Amino acid sequence: MKQLSLAIDLDRCIGCKTCVAACRNFHGLIDHASSLPGLIPYYLRVESDRQGTYPDIAIRSWVMPCQHCKNAACIKACKAEAITKDTETGIVRILADKCTGSRDCIEACPYGVIQFDAATNKAHKCDLCWDRVHVGEKPVCAEVCLTDAIRFGEKEMLKMELEAEGKEIVKKMSAQSVIYFRNPA
Amino acid sequence: MESKWIPTMCYQCKAECAILARVEDGVLKEIRGNPKARGKACVKGMAGVSLEYSPERLTHPLKRIGKRGEGKFEPCSWDEAMHAIAGKLSDLRERGEAHKLTASFFPHSITDPKWRFLNAYGGFINTALPHCDSAKIVACIKAMGGVPNHHIPPNFASVPQGGVIILAGRHAMGCLDDAAVPHDILNAKDRGAILVVIDPLFTADAAKADWWIPIKPSGDTALFTGMTHHIVVNGLYNKGFVENWIREGDFEKLRDYLADKTPEAMSKICDVPAQDIVKLAEMCAAAPSVGVDSFKGIMLGQALDFGHAWTNFLAVTGNIDNPGGQPLPDLTPLSPVLPAPSGPNLAEKGWHRTGPDKGKFGKYSFIMEPTWYEAQAIKNGDLKVLITAECNPALTEMGQEEWRKAVTMMDDKGQYQLEMLVSYEIMPSETSKYADYVLPDKSYFERWELLYMPWWYNFGHGVALRQPVVEAPGECRHSNEVFIDLGKRLCPEYFAFKNDLEYYDIQLAGLGLSVGKLQEMGGLWSPGTTGFRKYEQGGFGTPSKKVHLYWEDLEAVNQTMPRVGLAPEYEADAGEFPYILISYRTIFHQGSGQWTHNNPQLRDPIGGLMENPLLINTATAKKLGIEDGALVTLRSRTGKLKVRTKCTERIRPDCLGLHHGFGATIGRVAVLGEGVSDNVLIPDSGMTLDWQDLVGGESHVSTRVTVER
Repeated sequence: MKQLSLAIDLDRCIGCKTCVAACRNFHGLIDHASSLPGLIPYYLRVESDRQGTYPDIAIRSWVMPCQHCKNAACIKACKAEAITKDTETGIVRILADKCTGSRDCIEACPYGVIQFDAATNKAHKCDLCWDRVHVGEKPVCAEVCLTDAIRFGEKEMLKMELEAEGKEIVKKMSAQSVIYFRNPA
Repeated sequence: MESKWIPTMCYQCKAECAILARVEDGVLKEIRGNPKARGKACVKGMAGVSLEYSPERLTHPLKRIGKRGEGKFEPCSWDEAMHAIAGKLSDLRERGEAHKLTASFFPHSITDPKWRFLNAYGGFINTALPHCDSAKIVACIKAMGGVPNHHIPPNFASVPQGGVIILAGRHAMGCLDDAAVPHDILNAKDRGAILVVIDPLFTADAAKADWWIPIKPSGDTALFTGMTHHIVVNGLYNKGFVENWIREGDFEKLRDYLADKTPEAMSKICDVPAQDIVKLAEMCAAAPSVGVDSFKGIMLGQALDFGHAWTNFLAVTGNIDNPGGQPLPDLTPLSPVLPAPSGPNLAEKGWHRTGPDKGKFGKYSFIMEPTWYEAQAIKNGDLKVLITAECNPALTEMGQEEWRKAVTMMDDKGQYQLEMLVSYEIMPSETSKYADYVLPDKSYFERWELLYMPWWYNFGHGVALRQPVVEAPGECRHSNEVFIDLGKRLCPEYFAFKNDLEYYDIQLAGLGLSVGKLQEMGGLWSPGTTGFRKYEQGGFGTPSKKVHLYWEDLEAVNQTMPRVGLAPEYEADAGEFPYILISYRTIFHQGSGQWTHNNPQLRDPIGGLMENPLLINTATAKKLGIEDGALVTLRSRTGKLKVRTKCTERIRPDCLGLHHGFGATIGRVAVLGEGVSDNVLIPDSGMTLDWQDLVGGESHVSTRVTVER
């Protein structure tokens, strides 16, 4: 299997959204002069959940980028065959020149990560910073993470690294190509 | 295409982190933390790019044509604006009232050119922060003779295995000390440090804590004193430090004072169970280090008492200037620019010492004007010219309505009592609506500035260069350049240097540097050390060279030892207003400044925070019959507002939470959503002097309120 991946540390993510802003700047997702809150595209978002009630509560946060699924629903949904899973990296990409703007992929994606650009009539999303990772750089989110909660690498190697450190992979959250992990309870 | 990363310094908040800015063909594109200085930049820093290209940037000076507050202006030339401002200042000085000028800004160094102008001219600075941590500074000076510096967090990177980190009312992961702080705290935890968060609100820090203690607001003086009692009475104190480094006689005085401050007695005040006070005390006594990060504590008015309880606790546990404990920063040895202006005497001519309340400020010992007395000073006729730069008192000042009232008050001749108000900003703000002149500033991406304040997370050992990475739009001029211009016009003997760069060059000569050389080196210079137990060479900076627990200079006001009771603001109005409103912050916004609130990325729900609903404990809401998302009326003795609720488990049932800084009525993005300003509810501090800390210079920030459907 060839699969590049992100591994998200649930013990370190503080939900600060630094990665969201850096990602938007790098990928040019924002027009600084005209964009309005609530309408700015994004390639990853922060999610969180809470356990317990006051005063015994726990809150954890994590980021949700494209999961670069093993059998991606977006690929199956796209009649124009504009979405591919790259055999060398496992990155799921939308090929802009083939995209017809049907939005079928957006409907199909169970993670809600695909964006739509009305101006160009194209769908677009996280490509794991395709241009960066091919020249030996990390995806922007992993590079800027305030707490180093996002690791980047080949999935098998990340898993090996986490196992060696005694980390627990949260299987329920890690069904696709992105790994979510924590210290064992 | 030319693309390069240029080192400079962020100014999205007071932390001023070292960053790299990527500029592509003259256009700013991206930000990173500078790997040569801890390497982190937070979400605010990243979103600085949006600030730079706001369509609302001020590009030329404006002159008021309507009434103050109406926001009606016409363009004017720099010449006209400077002529009017210099003329007014000249007139004020000729009247013998130079001390009635105040400029409100955040000094980026202790020789900030704006501050130099004030010292040379005879006016005053205030910090632009109505509730800054002045009391902590005063406490550090009194107890340890420390450098009069800002928040001075523990050096989290130095916390050893088993060390205890206490965040008391401090959102350290909000990065207001440095963007590396969250990373350093989590790394310390990985090394085996213990993180304890004491806060009525379950913060992002609490989410990572080993122990969250939801204390009653204002209870922290009692909590720390209860711990100190347990440590001292049970002989758990650091005997070596106490014997060698506490002034003779002070420990005995502390022991006498502590006699009735048992954990049980303190528990009744702070609402933390006595067994938890004991547990935390024993944890701290056994730990190799304890570092306490706080600002003014848990939203209290009597902040000097907390600062005192805190320094006493650090002293008996020996956690001063040790790895993981409370650092004592050094000053960078820069060269003075001679002649050095001494500035007017604050204790004689400060606005708090010339008006009707001067007697009440008899023991005031902070080094700047109490910003929160600004409105009162205008009403008293003790403040005649106010220049604001990069600050927004119309929305940030406690009792904002009183501030607005004060700046629009007229005398019996129909003239404004505050004779001139100048707002210096990169975008129009709430405050600029009231200004006579609105001057267009350069953003932090467009200007030169030498930074070396000792409040940095590098503990003062260094200098950093902010340099222009892109060109400023229109006729923007940096406030430092303009104040130097004013200096050349009004007090030229202190402004004989050519410009800001030559001024910085003279100072840098002390390090064998110049602006050019520093720029070539990458804009940063630091020996790279924190330095530990520096007191072992020459003692502490106090008169006795040891730590002072007993403050004899405060005998007259009965504050030789900390007062452990809740601050008066918590007792007052308790019947009519049963809930305590907490003003809190997140990493997404600092203050009410347009640079974060009028920033589309930081107000975007995905990338930041769009609104500030009222946080209410789920059980409290149920008891009151209030549903999640309901529109409620929040009322205090000062004002009322309508706000939508957000039911949560994250807050004490007797508290309500509002994120500070929202409620702007100006700005393309800032006005969006349902944001409200907490300062509508917070009483004006000048009118509630009995509640304020008139020694440490702190004013209160939480307010008794009631919530109605």
